[in-house]
Amino acid sequence: MAFLSTFMAKFPSDEWVKLYCEKLNSNQKYADAGKNWEGDIVFVVEKDETHPQDDHIYLDLYHGKCRSARYIHSGEEVPKSEFSYKGKFGNWKKLMDGQIDPIQGILTGKFKLDGSKMKIMRFTSAAKEMVNTASTVETEF
Amino acid sequence: MWFFRSPRIVFGEDSLSFLSMVESKRFLIVTDRYLAGTKILEKVKKAIPPDSETMVFAKIGSEPLLSEMTSDMDSIYRFNPEVIIGLGGGSSMDAAKIIFALYEKPGLSAYDITPMDNFGFGSRSKLVAIPTTSGTGSECSWAAVFSDDREKRKNEVASPEILPDYAILDPDLVLDLPREQTVNTAVDAITHAVESYVSQWNNHYSDILAEKALSLITPNLSRVLSDPHDVAARESVHIGASMAGLSFSNSQIGLAHALGHALGACFNIPHGKTVGLYLPEVVRYNYNKAGVKYDRLNDLFPEKYRSKSLDITLKNYFKAIGQPLKIGEIPISDNDYKNKVPDMVELASQSTGVLTNPEESDSKSIESLVLSVI
Repeated sequence: MAFLSTFMAKFPSDEWVKLYCEKLNSNQKYADAGKNWEGDIVFVVEKDETHPQDDHIYLDLYHGKCRSARYIHSGEEVPKSEFSYKGKFGNWKKLMDGQIDPIQGILTGKFKLDGSKMKIMRFTSAAKEMVNTASTVETEF
Repeated sequence: MWFFRSPRIVFGEDSLSFLSMVESKRFLIVTDRYLAGTKILEKVKKAIPPDSETMVFAKIGSEPLLSEMTSDMDSIYRFNPEVIIGLGGGSSMDAAKIIFALYEKPGLSAYDITPMDNFGFGSRSKLVAIPTTSGTGSECSWAAVFSDDREKRKNEVASPEILPDYAILDPDLVLDLPREQTVNTAVDAITHAVESYVSQWNNHYSDILAEKALSLITPNLSRVLSDPHDVAARESVHIGASMAGLSFSNSQIGLAHALGHALGACFNIPHGKTVGLYLPEVVRYNYNKAGVKYDRLNDLFPEKYRSKSLDITLKNYFKAIGQPLKIGEIPISDNDYKNKVPDMVELASQSTGVLTNPEESDSKSIESLVLSVI
C-alpha cells in the first residue's frame, strides 16, 4: 500500500486506470451515491497542444463498484458503452485539479456527454465522487 | 467560465400593458384551472392586442402531471402560436415551458430537456411568464418541474433554452393572493435566496440578487400579511421573489429543495411548505461550511426575529408567519412520514440539490435531515 500512495501514475495509462478503479472501489461515498447505477462509460481524452493523441478509458460501473476498467491502447477498438464523457486533455487536468465541476464542465462546453442525460442528472453525486476519486490518484500529467 | 442568464423583466404597476406592445398574431395562454374565468385571466386577455387571436389552455393543476400538460398538444400545433404565455404560479409557468419546448421541437420528450443539449428553441414562438404568486421564481428560471403519471417522482428538467424571453411582474396580479399561498410562495422565495447564496455554484451575480431578495421580502412580507392590499409591500415581495428566482437559476439550489421535492412527491403538499420545513435544519447542517455567508443573511431579517444563527432566525420568522417547522404541523402523522423515509432518502439523493449544497451529504446524512423534522 505504501507503494500505491507514493507512485505517480501517468494520466492516462494502464497504471492510472488500475489505481483509479481501486480507489473508486474503496470510496464509500461513491458506493453510496452510485448504489443504483448500472452502466458503462468511456472517458475520451482528446488531444490538445500538450497531449498529442486521443485516449480512451473504459469503465464498467455497477451498483457503486467498478467491475472492470481498462485503458484502451492505440489501435485497439474502443468498446461501445452507454455513456461517453469527452474533453480535451487540458480540461481533464483542470477537472481533476478541482478547477472544473463535472456538470458545469458540460454546461460550459468543456466536456461533452453522450448518453441519457436524464439518467446522469439523477446520479450527479456519483459523478462528482468519480471526479473526487480521480483527484486522489497521485497523477503525473 | 459561467453565465448569467435572465429574461427581459417588465415590472411595476401596469406592466401587464406591455403585452399590447408585443407584435404577434396568435397568443397561447397556459394557465391553471383555478384562474379560468377569473378577472386575472380577463385582464391578460384584454392586454393582448385586439387584432390577435388567443387560445387559452387552462388545464393545469397544482401538482401538474406531464399528461395534463401535454393533453392538448395537437390543438396547440394547429393553433400555431407566436407567443406562449405562462400565467399563474410555478405549475402554470413550468407547464408553459414544457409546452413551449414540445411545440418548438415536435417529437421531443419532456424528459429529454436537459441543460446538456442544444435544441434551437425559439424559432417559432416567444415565451412570456406572468406570475400570479410571489415566490416560485419560475418566471426567471430555466428549470421546470412536473410529476410523472407512472412513478412517484417530481422530475426536475432544465435548459437555458426554456428561460422565458420576458417576465412580467405586475403587482396588481398578486393583490388578492390568499394568505396561505402568500406565505407558501414567499417561503419558497426565501429558500431560493438562502440556498443559492451558499450553493457551490454561487457567484457575485447570484449573491447580490439573493441579498437584495431577502432584504425586500423579509420586512415586507409581514406588511403584506397585515394588509394584503398594501401595493408597495406586495410589489417589493413580488420583485424580491423574482430576484431570488434569478439568483437560484444562476447558481442552483441545495438540500432543502432536494428534500422538499422528495416530500412533495410522497405527499401532496404545496412546494413552499415542503422546502421551508427543511430549510432551518439544512442551514444548521451546513453551518460549518457556510457560516460566514449565513451570518450575512441573518442580518437581513427584521431585528425582532433575529437570533445568533440563521437557522434559529429562520425558525423564529417562519413560526411568526405560519410556516410549519415540524411534519405534524403540515399535518402528516409521524407514522405515515416514517413509512416514506426510505423513498424520500432515495429521491432526495438523486436531486441535483445534493450536488450544489455547500456541505457534502450521503444517504445517512440525508436520512438524518429527513428525520430531523419529526
